[in-house]
Amino acid sequence: MTTATAAAAKPEFTLWQRLSGWVMNPWGRPRFLPLITWLYMAWSIIPVLIAIQFSFNDSRSRTVWAGFSTRWYWGDPNDSVWHNTQLRDALYQSLKLAAADVVVAVPLGVLLALGLARWRGHGSGPSNFLMLFPLVTPEIVMGVSLFLVFTHIFTFIHPSTTAQILGHITFSVSFVVVIVRGRLFSIGRQYEEAAADLGATPAQALRLVLFPLLVPAIVASAAITFAISIDDFVISQYLSCGASCTTVPIFIYSSTRAAPLPNTNAIASIMVVFTLVAVGLGYLFYRIFTRGESREGGMTGEMAGFEL
Amino acid sequence: MAGEIDIIELVKRFGDVAAVDGIDLHMPSGEFFSMLGPSGCGKTTTLRMIAGFEQPTEGRILLDGDDMQFTPPHKRNVNTVFQSYALFPHLSVSDNVAFGLRRQKTPKNELRTRVAEALELVQLTGFEKRKPAQMSGGQQQRVALARALVLKPAVLLLDEPLGALDAKLRKQLQVELKALQQQVGITFVYVTHDQEEALTMSDRIAVMSNGKVEQVGPPQEVYEEPKTTFVADFLGVSNLMDAEAQGRDGEGHSRIKVGDFELAAAQGDVDARGATRITIRPERLRLEDQNTDGRNRVPGMVERPVYLGNSVQVIVRLANGDRVQALVQNDGSEVSYKQGDPVKVYMPVEALRVLTDTGTAPVDEDAIAPHRAAAAPAATG
Repeated sequence: MTTATAAAAKPEFTLWQRLSGWVMNPWGRPRFLPLITWLYMAWSIIPVLIAIQFSFNDSRSRTVWAGFSTRWYWGDPNDSVWHNTQLRDALYQSLKLAAADVVVAVPLGVLLALGLARWRGHGSGPSNFLMLFPLVTPEIVMGVSLFLVFTHIFTFIHPSTTAQILGHITFSVSFVVVIVRGRLFSIGRQYEEAAADLGATPAQALRLVLFPLLVPAIVASAAITFAISIDDFVISQYLSCGASCTTVPIFIYSSTRAAPLPNTNAIASIMVVFTLVAVGLGYLFYRIFTRGESREGGMTGEMAGFEL
Repeated sequence: MAGEIDIIELVKRFGDVAAVDGIDLHMPSGEFFSMLGPSGCGKTTTLRMIAGFEQPTEGRILLDGDDMQFTPPHKRNVNTVFQSYALFPHLSVSDNVAFGLRRQKTPKNELRTRVAEALELVQLTGFEKRKPAQMSGGQQQRVALARALVLKPAVLLLDEPLGALDAKLRKQLQVELKALQQQVGITFVYVTHDQEEALTMSDRIAVMSNGKVEQVGPPQEVYEEPKTTFVADFLGVSNLMDAEAQGRDGEGHSRIKVGDFELAAAQGDVDARGATRITIRPERLRLEDQNTDGRNRVPGMVERPVYLGNSVQVIVRLANGDRVQALVQNDGSEVSYKQGDPVKVYMPVEALRVLTDTGTAPVDEDAIAPHRAAAAPAATG
């Protein structure tokens, strides 16, 4: 054992080699992947967090921090969300539209999905394709066409809350159909056939076997419909009748022209909470009802299972 | 008698493709009847038509004499065990088994007794509260069986029920299924692509290919007396050889010329002339010392011995170029075969079979006779 051999046995790595080796991490997941993910999440979420932070600002400014206060939520007697009738009405209107949307679009979409998935005849191809149109059409095109429909064709329904609800339902049904149909395809016909084999009429098979299996998809589509409807701006704006039809997104948009106050941040934060709660409840229901079935990838895996 | 099925000139087309291309079968009451064939031969489609999940394009299916054409699946007195079991995942084992009974509005006490009996029959007492996802494949399969049998159907249809199980469990369940069928006494119609399964369990086998029935008969007949090349080749090793048939000789055997060698064959189409094929099962081939003389002996060379444990599969290349497979039991005798050993292959006359495939599907005589007698269609159903 000469000293030369001993020296050759312990090689020297440069700083660059060590750093790139650590990042590449050949025996595990490459470390730059989570890095990119965290960077992206920071980029998207930090602005939202800042907006939420400024909703608790103790002055009329939306850019200069003056201290913590809940005045914009319920403190200020004129401009807080609790006291300002304009803001409250906008909140109620948004929730009203979302609730009506879920109550009508989800059952309609489920029935449509069932019909489309079981249709073995000639019209099935085109109908399945047509279902996708509201999803791929740009929102502004949808908004303008709905406006024209309600001002020139169905003039008995002029732009109003009813028109807004109908507009929301129109594009929400597509979301419901796509989600439920994906779930129907992955279930397959085996359970209905087994039910029929055991003596269940088609109606009984639907009620006793298919619906329990569809509940996760139905709940998930309800949560998504709620979230989309609350978030909608273009269609609500086009079908708006004025002050009494204003939703929160419309209010926020118009308030940026005037002198914006942190109460818009406050109401936006409230909307974020509502959306998170809706999606969270949907996910919870989904987990409870699919406890027997397992899928890889956690929640994203299950969302991917909807085969959007 | 309950559980008798007649399939008359059944055809099923999907677009241009005929999945089932004109089959006639008769399954008497209480029989374990198997439909055997490769993927795509039409056996599962036929089963689904018996169950009512597909409508035939042509032909009729009679259950105990009643035409099933307008009866939907939930009204037929047949039950199915699916390949994927199709156990309702949101219901417990006892709710799964009770499902059919509840549709029939069975009173509570009777329901509970019958469910308990069914679970005992498949040895799953104590599993009532479990969910399907919490059970192994073999247990799920037994729940599917119990769920179908509890309804006491006239016929039980099984669509490759053992396909998803490991080999040992499959062998165990084959024995259990056969015993169950004999105990319960109802007709089983079993679909499989595993010829060993069909041979082990069935009273009769229908070998199918390309939507047609090639041969119907008891396992012994289908294995030892195959009527077509397909049947010979599908059930085990067939050792098919091209040959020239020269008609019947004085002893009633067919004179066969394989290459330069003259053989006599006692089985199959003895009167054939011209180009045919002959077949012999590997266990009937005898390997003898190369200097042995006598009838039906062809010289050859051992290409490769394959050790199987209880036997040795010896691949032999005959002098005329054909390759045959012989199965030699490991009975303790000193003979061992090495690559390159010269041998004489003895093909006993009574084991050699002449096959002339004419291309038309052989007929199930049991199926044709009853409705040739009743020329007019049955006025029932």
